[in-house]
Amino acid sequence: MLDKNAIGRSSPPTLNEVEKGSIRRFAEAIGDYNPIYYDEEYARASGYPTIVAPPTFPASFHSAADLRELLGVGIKSLLHAEQGFEYERPIFAGDRIYVATKVADVLERTGPAGKMDVAVIEDEGRDEEGNLVFRARRTLIVRAAKENA
Amino acid sequence: MPARKLYFEAVRVGDELPALAKAPVDRVQLSRYAGASGDYNPVHVDELYAKSVGMPSVYAPGMLIMGMLGQLISDWARGGQLRRYGVRFIKMVWPGDTVVCKGRVSDRHGSGGRYFVEIDLWAENQRGELLMKGQSVIQLFYSMEDENRQRSGQAPIVIEVPRESILTPPTGGHPEGGEVAEETGAKKAPSNTKKSAKTATAPTPSPVSAAKKIKK
Repeated sequence: MLDKNAIGRSSPPTLNEVEKGSIRRFAEAIGDYNPIYYDEEYARASGYPTIVAPPTFPASFHSAADLRELLGVGIKSLLHAEQGFEYERPIFAGDRIYVATKVADVLERTGPAGKMDVAVIEDEGRDEEGNLVFRARRTLIVRAAKENA
Repeated sequence: MPARKLYFEAVRVGDELPALAKAPVDRVQLSRYAGASGDYNPVHVDELYAKSVGMPSVYAPGMLIMGMLGQLISDWARGGQLRRYGVRFIKMVWPGDTVVCKGRVSDRHGSGGRYFVEIDLWAENQRGELLMKGQSVIQLFYSMEDENRQRSGQAPIVIEVPRESILTPPTGGHPEGGEVAEETGAKKAPSNTKKSAKTATAPTPSPVSAAKKIKK
């Protein structure tokens, strides 16, 4: 069982500058060639102030959090089970977004293989004025490192 | 010239999103995604490492597949604003696998001049096996006129549209298995949204919406 005391542990907000090149490479890696991710004029003509970031782009943001440290799980493997995003507004090239990570919950779930430890990690992105831009929730299953096979 | 936009008035519960078949995943794409996302977990990029921990090969990060399903949403909901997007990862994706993204409108509602459609989403591999399942909420303008009004600083068109799921319980339901999903996904053309979007420019509520307004 994971340490319930981990709930609420958090990392300080870390600045992420959203660069056009990062958006382009992210969209290319997905194989998504929608011009709103590449072409400034097209994005404007589509009603956006500039190039937009794809929906899962916050996955590329870094935060100061060391998850294993926050959760106190050492070398155990973390399996990504669920992911959710809530968007206050789209993310644009040029945005400066501060991302903070916290342990939202730790719980025990009963799955097909018996009981398992589950951690819910929440990232929050805010602009420089402190306005919420997005929230992301990751649900991770914590397993002993050698159970992978 | 930007693509035609999607408006709330043209969306119906049960509408299917045009399926999106992605190119087969390969190891170069896994490297690119690792670089672009900053996630260098070796199980996705280092074949020797992946084998040393008992995997047959490297495999795709779930977030890459979530990104593909995200493309399905933004391709369909042009001009809309994504409000929520969540998935559950079900099955691993290996190099050589082809991901097919599908979705269906599960609900629509509007209140106070803000309009939302909800969609069920899922991804399958080339064998029709379910890889991922999710939901999304997208905010749309009611119509082109609503958009023009709001962009010029005027008040939005306000039509109360209660959740459709309350009035008519969904018949199709959520795809439980790959085969079912594949069948329903392939059957229908991308619905009649194009036609309605073109012809209906006035904010006149459809008889359906009008009926709902009264019900509220």
